[in-house]
This record gives sequence, C-alpha cells and structure tokens, in this order.
Amino acid sequence: MLDLLVSTLIQGLIYALVSFGVYITYSILDFPDLSVDGSFPLGAAVTAVLLTRGCNPYLTLLAAILVGALAGLCTGVIHVKLHVRDLLSGIITMTALFSINLQIAGSNLTVGRSVDTIFTAGPTMALFGGLSLTNRKLVVALIIAVAVKLLLDAFFATKAGLLLRAVGDNAFLVTSLAKDKGNVKLAGLVISNALVALGGALVCHETRSFSATMGTGQVVFGLATVIIGVALFRRFSFVKGTTAVVVGSILYKLCIAVALDLGLPPNMMKLITAVLFLLVLVASGRKGEEIIHA
Amino acid sequence: MKKVLTFALAAAMTLSLAACGAPSAGKPYKIGLLQYGQHASLDNCREGFLQGLEDAGLVEGTDYTVDYQNAGFDNAMDTQIAGKFSSEDVDMMVGVATPSAVACYTAAEEKNIPVIYVAVSDPAAAGLDSGNITGTSDALPVDAQLQLIRAMQPDAKTIGILYTTSEPNSVSTIAEYQEKAGSYGFTIDAVGVTTPAEVPQGADTLISHKVDCFSNLTDNNVVGVLPSILEKTSEAGIPVYGSEIEQVKIGCAASAGIDYVQLGKQTGAMAAKVIRGEATCDQIPFETIDSYSTYINSDVLDAMGISVPSDIAANAVEASAAA
Repeated sequence: MLDLLVSTLIQGLIYALVSFGVYITYSILDFPDLSVDGSFPLGAAVTAVLLTRGCNPYLTLLAAILVGALAGLCTGVIHVKLHVRDLLSGIITMTALFSINLQIAGSNLTVGRSVDTIFTAGPTMALFGGLSLTNRKLVVALIIAVAVKLLLDAFFATKAGLLLRAVGDNAFLVTSLAKDKGNVKLAGLVISNALVALGGALVCHETRSFSATMGTGQVVFGLATVIIGVALFRRFSFVKGTTAVVVGSILYKLCIAVALDLGLPPNMMKLITAVLFLLVLVASGRKGEEIIHA
Repeated sequence: MKKVLTFALAAAMTLSLAACGAPSAGKPYKIGLLQYGQHASLDNCREGFLQGLEDAGLVEGTDYTVDYQNAGFDNAMDTQIAGKFSSEDVDMMVGVATPSAVACYTAAEEKNIPVIYVAVSDPAAAGLDSGNITGTSDALPVDAQLQLIRAMQPDAKTIGILYTTSEPNSVSTIAEYQEKAGSYGFTIDAVGVTTPAEVPQGADTLISHKVDCFSNLTDNNVVGVLPSILEKTSEAGIPVYGSEIEQVKIGCAASAGIDYVQLGKQTGAMAAKVIRGEATCDQIPFETIDSYSTYINSDVLDAMGISVPSDIAANAVEASAAA
C-alpha cells in the first residue's frame, strides 16, 4: 500500500512543475494564462523526439525549458506588444502549439524501454542505482521539485522577483519606479511556460510517451492545485506559496487515487474527484473565490 | 477548527488508501484492465476479452478477478490508473487501445508484470512488440474495404476520409489507403481534424468536394461523433463505409471490417495461456485478427439505391438496426 502512496507522490511532484508555472501567472502576475495547455505537451514532444533520437536524457530537460520559454515569450509578445487581451493571447498560443507539437513529434510517440530516461540513465544509476525504479523516480522527482522550488524562492527575493510580484499586486508602483510592466509580464510568462514545459518533459520521461492531447486540462489542473494549496496554508504565513502549490498538486493526485481506490464504477471517477476537491476547499474555509497574491 | 478538519481529511484519505490494500497470498489471478475510454468498439473489445477467458474454461472469482477501470480518454488518468495496478501487484495488466497499452507497459516495467493489449493497430510502431507483452492488432483490412466499395459503386472515383491528425493509427491507415487506392481506380480525399468538435465541419468539407462515398476508420475522435456525420451524408445521398460492425449498425452502408468482440475473444484466449502458465507474453507473438467479415445495412443501401452484388450478399452479415 506504501507503493500506491509512492506512485501518487511521484505524480504529484512531477505535476507540481505545472503548478509552479500556473502559480506564477495566475497567482503572482494575475494573468490567466491558457498557453499552459500547449506548452505542457510542447515540452513532452521535444523530449520524446530527442530521446528517440538518442539525445542525452538530461539535455532534453534543458531543451524543454528553452522551447517552453519561447512559447511563453510568444504569449507575452502577443499580449504586451500586440495588445491582445490576456485570455485570448494564451488561447492563440495554445491553439498554434497543437499543430506545432504534432509537427515536432510527427504523431503520438512512444519511447522504448531500451532508451534511457533521466530515471534510468548512467549518472542517476550511479547515485541511486541501489533503489528500485519506483523509488528512484520518487527521489529524482523530489530533487527536481525541491530544486525548482528553492530556485523560485531565491528568485522571488531578488529585485527582479520583487518587481514580478509588484506587477500583479500594484502595477502603478512598478510604473512609478520607472520600470516597464509589460517587460516584467513578459519575463513572468517566459519563466512560467518554461516550468510547465519542464513538467511536460518529466511526464514524457516518466510515461515514455507523448500524446497530442496530453495538454488538455492542464490549466484546470494547475488552477485547482494553486487554489487548494494556497487556501490550505492561508493562515500559515511562514509556508511559502511554492511549498503550498506542491502540496496542492500532491493532494489533487491523492484525490484521484482515493477515487480510483474506492472501487466505484469508472464513469463516476470525475464526480468523486470533484466531491473530494469540494470537501478540501470547504474544510479549508476558502472557496477559491479570491485570487491570492504571494 | 476548519484547518484541523482539512488535515484530518487529508489523513483520512491517506488511511483509506492503506485500508483498501488487499493481501494477495492464495488469491485468484489478479487482472487490471485499463480501457482508454468508452465507445462501442472498445466496450466490445473488453467484453470479448472477458468472454475469451470464460471460453478458455477460466471462472471469474475462483480463477481470476478483474479490476476494470477506464481513463475517459485522459492520458494523465491512464498513467495514474496503470500506476495503481502496479502498486497493487496485479498479476497481469490488460490495455484496451494504444494509449492504455503504452501506459500499462510503462507502469509494468519495474515489476515486469505481463501486459496484454487489445486493439493496437500498429504494435511495432508503438514499441509494444517486444518484452513481456503481447496482444492483438486491429489493423484494418484496407484492400478488402477498397474491393467492397468498388463492387458496391462501380462508377465511384473519390473516397472521402475523415481522420484525427494526432492518432498514429489513423495516419498510417490513411497512408495505406493512398498507396492502394490507385490500383482500384480510386483517389483519396483525406481531411484531418484535431478535435471531435471539428468533425462536422470536416464532413461538410468532404461533401462540398463531392466525394462519391466516405470510408470511415477506427479513429476514436471521428467514431465518437459518427452519427452526426451520417446525418449529413444521408441528406447528401453519400454512402459511408464503416470499419466494423457497430458502425454499420448505426447507419453506415457496409463494411469489410473487424468484429471487436471476436478480436477481444482472441486476445482473451492468449491471456488464458499466460494465466495458466502455459506460456509467457514474450513467447507469444502479437496476432492480427484471423478473419474479416463483410457487414451490410440493407436499409441504408436501399435508401441510397445501391444494389449489393450477389456474391457479396451471399457472405455478408446483415447489420441493420432492426437485425
């Protein structure tokens, strides 16, 4: 049974990358960014192609971050430079990415067992070779999630990071500091989508596959985890937002695992998951009606 | 107070996970069956598979148990369900349709759990042709279908096909159609869509191209909204040829195609060998269906004014809604 908890934790930690990304746009920038549904499979598409071509598995993560950043830049330019509304600029990027992802990958792809992923490649084996594959996945996912969390925390404490937070909270302040809030938004979107694409890459490593439709619902997932996480730790101000969303992501996957395990008819799955969310939100006293800034 | 409740809830959920674990000693063979989503063809695969196990003399409850889950066409759900099967130490995973087969195979890697799949069109392309895995392919009989259309409509020139650009099965079948159409005197007009919502527009496009008939694949997106296509084509007087019996039942004119129940049964027989310990998955090569049948829907054919050649009628199975 520990096994099931471990596999749920792995999912929660990997998908936490998506939560980080949505946290930056939705919660910090106050920007409802829908490009996530496209940049998530974009990271997976690039990763799947590179892996099947024999690329170093660790480098695929870097590649995913770069293409994700490009996708974010695209949304940012459409919004900031072409003055398209925030929701629409995300929709445009997401729609375009569907075709681009297919163009990159050809069609849905699978990565054979003979191909090394970050969970089975040499350096990982050298460090954690003694562990079972599942435990190795857990450790690697944990390391990546914690590393990204710490990097983000450090970034938010820098001048640039504070500006980012100011744009969402009080855009006039940014302008009065003689900074261009458009450029700050651009930077936020770049970072957010880079993280989401990294999440897509990790999912590709974990599931050894890319599918064009894997992005569907990622924005909703991200929003749910951010709201659950932030609501849960609302009164615990010492808990950072980045920590809260990781917990949110794990709780989300836990809800699904519980719904699965209740052994109800498969068609009832989503309903049970929805009821569990509602319970968590009501119990935390926060119904997700407010956008919570970091 | 509410905070306490929240954490209690989280703890309760964790505990309920622990409570649901079942010990496996001396138990019947545990099968985790993961179906990609629900439509008639995939349901037939599953039912055929379970029938195949019964036919092989295995009894549910005493010889084996089945944990049936479906992923609602959601890949993240596929991964999580397959992971759950692995953590519950099922003795075998069964994946219905390619995405679920891939998810099972990945989750089965660590414990080397045998995986059986049903309805994977191209197992080699999906990387499912080696290792502790086997199953059945539902590659369509393109030649038989083209022959059938030629016999039904001797003057037809263009066949319209709708497909989803992201489904590898459809893409490879389209390529096969395009390669073979010429030798039967056809040209193919293929229109690609990305979501079910775009399918009606795609059908309108093909109708405006004045194609002589439609040929329908096993494309999940398109099959899901097939009735809306049939409504348009029957108004335009264009026959649609299906790819399996369920499609003919709901209004396709005819089909040289697969009986998914049969495909499932064939897969069930393979699984029974593995359950009995007579063979392991890697010793059984994947199979394609032994025989294809011709299905016709006389109501639709009559309405279209198409007469069925007597040699075809003699061997065809009637699949009109009334039959």
